[in-house]
Amino acid sequence: MAAIYSLYIINKSGGLIFYKDYGSAGRMDTNDSLRVASLWHSMHAISQQLSPTVGCLGIELLEADTFDLHCFQSLTGGYLNPFIYLFISVLGTKLFVVCEPGTQHMEGLLKVIYELYTDYVLKNPFYEMEMPIRCELFDINLSQAIQKDRVALLGR
Amino acid sequence: MQFFGGSDISPSPPAPTASGNNAHMIYVFNRNGVCLLYREWNRPLHTLNAQQDHKLMFGLLFSLKSLTAKMDPTSLDKGNLGVPQLPGQGCSFHSFRTNTYKLSFMETPSGMKFEIMQFQFLGRGLGENTKLLYFVQLLFFLISIKFVQIILITHPKTGDLRESLKYIYNLYVEYVVKNPIYTPGAPIRCELFNTSLDQYVRSIS
Repeated sequence: MAAIYSLYIINKSGGLIFYKDYGSAGRMDTNDSLRVASLWHSMHAISQQLSPTVGCLGIELLEADTFDLHCFQSLTGGYLNPFIYLFISVLGTKLFVVCEPGTQHMEGLLKVIYELYTDYVLKNPFYEMEMPIRCELFDINLSQAIQKDRVALLGR
Repeated sequence: MQFFGGSDISPSPPAPTASGNNAHMIYVFNRNGVCLLYREWNRPLHTLNAQQDHKLMFGLLFSLKSLTAKMDPTSLDKGNLGVPQLPGQGCSFHSFRTNTYKLSFMETPSGMKFEIMQFQFLGRGLGENTKLLYFVQLLFFLISIKFVQIILITHPKTGDLRESLKYIYNLYVEYVVKNPIYTPGAPIRCELFNTSLDQYVRSIS
């Protein structure tokens, strides 16, 4: 039984740039994963509009009946200026994982994945920004990180 | 009215907790997206006018439901994205959390199956046509009155509010559905419901 069902990375305009499935039933096809990603992007933006207080940065955790969705959004240091951070939150890259309900420590894993993304994707001279990720080193290190997380989960 | 039983308010509300107002606002929508009730207790930020705000909220929930139904990693056949789901069909969600608020969501299809079963039991003696007629009427009644979505927006650190939403739904059934002068589909203007809701929400931690 997989703790993590799938991982998505979407760029600042809502396009899916990375999708990997780790054993969910009825795998989604490419078109559906693209649609789901851009739908999530807009839902994330709408949730900021509906906030009762200022400073909302969008959904972090969605608890569905059969899964949890953890979302992590990269912020590029605009937090200091309250007038621009809302703007920047729209511009960031978003990572989200779909996992079993009640899985703990997903924020940590998302941060690890984000680090891998910065190290092996953004620093890759052949990678074009906002384009689908095709980097071998990222794939290798990502599967290692997921494996490590699974082992840690079993050990807990 | 015994078809509609089984909704008595439980003697003690769930989660007896420390006082403190953690709730920001509540929305109650019917099946058609009409906002039956909107109350706010603590909302410093209004980005839109009330009507736009309700529409946006209903749209968000509708889309999130189709998203979760499509994403459901445990079912093989999920249908197409965006196809409207019947109440209780497909994978739904019960809450989401952002850094400034937590939204808890409940829709009420669960009681429906039970009531239909109850009806079939009660209608044993009737002829087939009468039974069908009553059944259709009952179904329409249930869909128009009992199918609601309750959305409670609270502080992000609040725990699981599913039981609290059930309690609020019971309040709705007791004070609104059973109110003889209430017209289905109209905005709720029921003093008793509002006061007991305010009182209960204050106790949510």
